[in-house]
Amino acid sequence: MTGVPEEPLDPLIHAPARLRIMVTLAALNDGDTLSFSRLQKLLDLTPGNLISHLRRLEDAHYVSTEKSGAGIASLTSVALTPRGRAALDGYTAALRELLRAL
Amino acid sequence: MDETGSGRSNEAFDDRNELDPGDAALLVEQTARQAQRAFDLVSPVAAAVGAGVFLVGYGAVWWSIRGEATYTGSPGWAIGVLYGAIGVAAIVGGTVARRATAGVRGRSARRQVAQAVAVGAAGIGAWMVQGALLHLGVPAEIVYGVYGPTVPLIALAAAGAGVAATRERWPELWLSVAIIAVASLSTFFGPQGAWGLTGLGAAVALLIYASAMWRRRAAKR
Repeated sequence: MTGVPEEPLDPLIHAPARLRIMVTLAALNDGDTLSFSRLQKLLDLTPGNLISHLRRLEDAHYVSTEKSGAGIASLTSVALTPRGRAALDGYTAALRELLRAL
Repeated sequence: MDETGSGRSNEAFDDRNELDPGDAALLVEQTARQAQRAFDLVSPVAAAVGAGVFLVGYGAVWWSIRGEATYTGSPGWAIGVLYGAIGVAAIVGGTVARRATAGVRGRSARRQVAQAVAVGAAGIGAWMVQGALLHLGVPAEIVYGVYGPTVPLIALAAAGAGVAATRERWPELWLSVAIIAVASLSTFFGPQGAWGLTGLGAAVALLIYASAMWRRRAAKR
């Protein structure tokens, strides 16, 4: 696996809101995207809060966003990237190891 | 992104809000469960409504022909109740599907359209044959009394079983198989058996399925 942090718990994912974003997007089937507004509704986050978390995840190439349409009718879709899925798998595996060691 | 707003202070708060591994594991589990439920096309409530639809719709037709020595057909009120019940099922099913797929785009949406086409074609094909049988002079007792309540349902359930099998959804597969079994066996008992036993059997199968779903969800809480 390349590009997945080697720290025990990826600090980028190990924050409540970003963890919930990643897990929610991981529940989608491969090849699916979720609209920004549905993701916001599911997670009960403010638009600004969700955008800032998505930007950080997007900067790390964990999620991808795609905008379709223009103006007020535009729609932003969000999806987990293969790198993001690998990072989440690594995070949950590390979490299990940590809990086993406790 | 077109959505605007500043969340930097909230984000900073979220980063400071330390999670211990136990809390993180709990959050992963809860969020995954909520997401799976939100995107799930099947619901125990819809299955329970489906059971009610079979009891009321098929039950009304059975009630209208019970005790008849010779099949004379169902009165308008019974057919009205049947189609009303089918309408309720369509509304509930459509609402559940719309909620589950809201905001989801991509491969799943295309696959669901293809599956709906397959299931719809199976049902329409079976209803077309019903019309052909009537046209060819097959008695109404068979066309409306035996074929009508069973064969289109068997065709729909068979298509549903195929969809469930390819998606490895075993409870839905067994539900479809149970409905096929009860509908095909009930044809041996004439119009009263076909309407009464199919309605009752399908309702019981759907209630068992709904209660299994509720128990599974409760166990995961």
